[in-house]
Amino acid sequence: MSAADLSELGKKLDALESGLDTAQLDLNALEAFRVQSLGRKGEVTELLKSLKELSLEDRRAVGPRVQALKTKFEDSIARRRAELETAADAASLQNIDLDLSLPASAPPRGRLHPLTQTLQEISRILSLMGFSWAEGPLVETERHNFEALNIPEHHAARDLQDTFYLQDIPLLLRTHTSPVQIRTMESQQPPLRVICPGRVFRHEAVDATHSAVFHQIEGLAVDKGISFADLKGTLETFLKKVFGPRTKTRFLPSYYPFTEPSADVYASCIFCSGSGCPICKQSGWIEIMGAGMVHPNVFKAVGYDPELWSGFAFGMGVERIAILRLGVPDMRLFFSNDLRFLKQFDENLV
Amino acid sequence: MRISYNWLKEHLPLGISAEELAERLPLLGFSVAAMEHQGPGFSGVIVGKVLSVDKHPNADRLSLCVVDDGTQKHPVVCGAKNVAVGQTVPLARVGAILPGGFQLTKSKIRGVESHGMICSVRELGLGEEADGIWAMDTALPVGSDLAKSLGQTDCVLDVEITPNRPDCLSHLGLARELSAFLHIPLKTSPQKKLPEGTIPCLDVQVQDPKACPRYVGRSFEGLRIAASPGWLAAKLEAVGLRPIHNLVDITNFLLMDLGQPMHAFDADKLEGGLVVRFARPGEKIIALDDKQYTLTERCLVIADQKKPVAIAGVMGGRDTAVTQMTKRAFLESATFDPTVVRRTSQALRLKSDSSYRFERGTDPGAAQAASQIATELIQRLCATPDLKISGTIDRDSVPAPKPIDVTSSRLNAILGTSFSEAIVESTLKPISAQLEKSGPAWRFTPPSYRRDLATPWDLAEELARLTGYDQIPYRETPIVLKSSSDLPSQTLADKVRGRLVSLGFSEAYNLDFISDKLAAQARLSCGLVRVKNPISEDYANMRPTLLTGLLQNARLNLNNGAQTLRLFELGKTYVPRAKEVAETTRAAGLLLGPAASHWKSSRGQRLDFYDAKGAVEELLAGVAGIGFLPLSGAEPMGADPLFHPVGALRLRLPSGILGTVGLLHPTVARAWEMEREEVCIFELDLDLLAGLHAPAPRFAPFSVFPGSTRDISFLVDTATPYDSLAATIRQPSDTQLKGIDLVDKFTGKGVPQGKQSLTIRLSFGRDDRTLQDAEVTAAVETILAKLSRKHGAVLRT
Repeated sequence: MSAADLSELGKKLDALESGLDTAQLDLNALEAFRVQSLGRKGEVTELLKSLKELSLEDRRAVGPRVQALKTKFEDSIARRRAELETAADAASLQNIDLDLSLPASAPPRGRLHPLTQTLQEISRILSLMGFSWAEGPLVETERHNFEALNIPEHHAARDLQDTFYLQDIPLLLRTHTSPVQIRTMESQQPPLRVICPGRVFRHEAVDATHSAVFHQIEGLAVDKGISFADLKGTLETFLKKVFGPRTKTRFLPSYYPFTEPSADVYASCIFCSGSGCPICKQSGWIEIMGAGMVHPNVFKAVGYDPELWSGFAFGMGVERIAILRLGVPDMRLFFSNDLRFLKQFDENLV
Repeated sequence: MRISYNWLKEHLPLGISAEELAERLPLLGFSVAAMEHQGPGFSGVIVGKVLSVDKHPNADRLSLCVVDDGTQKHPVVCGAKNVAVGQTVPLARVGAILPGGFQLTKSKIRGVESHGMICSVRELGLGEEADGIWAMDTALPVGSDLAKSLGQTDCVLDVEITPNRPDCLSHLGLARELSAFLHIPLKTSPQKKLPEGTIPCLDVQVQDPKACPRYVGRSFEGLRIAASPGWLAAKLEAVGLRPIHNLVDITNFLLMDLGQPMHAFDADKLEGGLVVRFARPGEKIIALDDKQYTLTERCLVIADQKKPVAIAGVMGGRDTAVTQMTKRAFLESATFDPTVVRRTSQALRLKSDSSYRFERGTDPGAAQAASQIATELIQRLCATPDLKISGTIDRDSVPAPKPIDVTSSRLNAILGTSFSEAIVESTLKPISAQLEKSGPAWRFTPPSYRRDLATPWDLAEELARLTGYDQIPYRETPIVLKSSSDLPSQTLADKVRGRLVSLGFSEAYNLDFISDKLAAQARLSCGLVRVKNPISEDYANMRPTLLTGLLQNARLNLNNGAQTLRLFELGKTYVPRAKEVAETTRAAGLLLGPAASHWKSSRGQRLDFYDAKGAVEELLAGVAGIGFLPLSGAEPMGADPLFHPVGALRLRLPSGILGTVGLLHPTVARAWEMEREEVCIFELDLDLLAGLHAPAPRFAPFSVFPGSTRDISFLVDTATPYDSLAATIRQPSDTQLKGIDLVDKFTGKGVPQGKQSLTIRLSFGRDDRTLQDAEVTAAVETILAKLSRKHGAVLRT
């Protein structure tokens, strides 16, 4: 490299160096300046590239200076950028236009019906206890709804279940979920444990505690050697899971045509823990379900040998449990579908 | 059944209060629905003092007393032997009302005026004791009102008797039950021997002994029909029956005391002997309720030689009933077959206290006992001096009760208990007719009133009940270990619920019924499953769609001021199919109103068809092979009439029609007064979905190289459907084209009439490298050329 070339280069470097003033630049101008100097085709970059063409000796002579210039540019730009960003951040911390107290923007969220929630919870517990799902039609035959369940035609036991019949079709609306028991036993061999949740119909006047349409969950267990004591043990476990570990249970004699012996099952009142309150009518006990040992006539109707197999069945009203758990004062609310009602019930996160 | 505590105590020395009784009864399986404390059944009776007793001038057995009521002295004629000076006695003054409604008036007895009556315990309806007047506790102040001083004298329990225990539909029955439970022996009264009959008994023939297993009867002459005495009237009133006259009251008394329904005929109105037979079609009878009933051959009747005179087990006939004029009567005490009585009662839509008991089963043993006691009471209460009584007729074809053979270990196996032989024996003995050991087993013979005991299970229940269900231990079922399983339909239902909830829908539960009116409003006029016996008009049909329920809910919530509605329901729908019902599980949804109610959101944006379509697409995300078709021209479905014929899409699967999504039909919208809302609805067949099985999602690799997007805006005819444009863009398949999104759709200013401006964002990319600008540009050019050629699209610049 000639001396003239060297001096030319030195001038270039001087000119670049003297032109380095980022103090007044804003962010955009700073970026333009960076591209202009350090970009792919920037002045400093070009200068650095041109070093390749020099001899080793020359490169040793000017290289460090050019490198130093590049570093100087980089530092200057970085410093200015930091200054600008700090100032911008400070400004944005000062000038925020946000009323934090304004109401949130809630994403649309639906709710499961409280009866679905109750039904799912009960069946979840019973599933954990080894009961399988079963279901059947809501429009049923006399045989499945009555005869096979030891409720013959023209028997006073039919008074317990007022029935809707269909016009011109020899079928009825099931009055309980028990026909699913029959269908299950007709199609499976013991041992078995099933729950049959679902909708049932009773031909009765509607008021705060009665609905012509409501829901039941029924359970059935069949095996060799099942006794009433097993019924008591299973339902005690179940009720403790539903109402809490301190729940006590009580079994009183009752009558259901399809069980013998039959019982009504009570849980210690969840509101007063048994000391007496208006909800349990001062008795300390709340009736939860009906239960009993499967009647031998039911086994005979499905072709099971009652001398070989035994079993228990139980059934409860989902509305009743929901009323207890949620404090709903009137059964008709469950079928009102008023959003002011439906929105109240949420599955608890914790 | 109303049970009087006092009456019960006449059969059983209870030794516990009425309150305690009410607490014990449920332990036996009888719930107590209500308890009612009752005061005495009389008024105007005051506490008096006997000042003097003189002999009646005209009658040996009567006395003439003067009784002081504290303010006045009353001359009273008294027939009791035990009346004495100084006694404190209940004095019924003129105007007093005694049980049965009998009002005291001034009367002349054998020529002497009597201004009141000194009462016995029995006349006041306070007890059975009838020996003379009630000489009371002297602590009661003279002149005080006796009813007030006594306060509550009885307690009536409303006891719920289950249909299997007709034997407890009486005071004796419940006393028997309590006797076995509380280990207190029943009071027994010695059977009085009735005199031999002095007149012939009316003949009775039973044509069908199965329908009438026992018929006991007796004839009477020389009767005096009058009001019942106080004790009898008070008893009936306590259990809610109205006293009528002595003979009918006696039968009602036995109905409540022994549970045996009886009927008395006026023998002078009967033509010839009686026959128990089924009615001839068209035969008519006017019953005691003054209504005429047309009988069918399924109705059992008691007939004389000319006509039916009673509907067997249900109600007597009016024209042969006992009246105040009756002198001769025939008293029936029978056992009828429960099924026959229930059929008769249902055929005639006529129920009575008698039919209630017969259809549950009465005790054939009580038929004879009741007849016997009734005869004794008639002798006491309905007799003229020339009363004549016949012998009894007893047509008895009741089979002997079948014994039950069972071992104690079998009973313990059913219950899970370990009761000893001794406990089994001591528990079952009191409720048996006979209990004896036969080999290792017990042979239990049930008494005639326990028709419900037939199997070892029945005895197990008795053993558990009488010892208390609390004696049975708690044990967890030793079942063969078998894993539990769920049902595809049920898991699907829960998933559908979960997805719809996450999409902002709230779940509704509607009834499965629909009125004719709602069906017409929804344009669903034919092919409904009709209910034979609806409770009301609202229950006339089974719903063929869930949507009418949701429309009702929408109306209600709009009335309540709700703005945005997103509702869904899962449930059954019903359509008639031959002699059956096609029952389908469906999911339906409804949405309307502002898209967001937030202060931030732009105003006027409302939920519309595309939100409904989006909800359905999201709900069904992952289900393969779903296609959309225009509703018009598609195969018709049940809920179609609710949808806007042009503004709706049919969803189709390879296996069938899945459902419909779209706008509500304007006529239906108007019927629900929602014509100003844009109501969007959908309904899907879940049974069809439940049959499908989609493979679990598997990882699909995506490109690590950046993609490019280009927006193209072009003008095209408004009539050009978007999906045909999208299809054109996709065809032939270009693997570099990764996505097509509609970003804007515009008509109006700057766009020629009949045209629309669409902006579509095209995404490109490759899995193996970054695309070059030129490649993307070339691809876009190709697409624009296709759009131009096929749809006449013009690029906007």
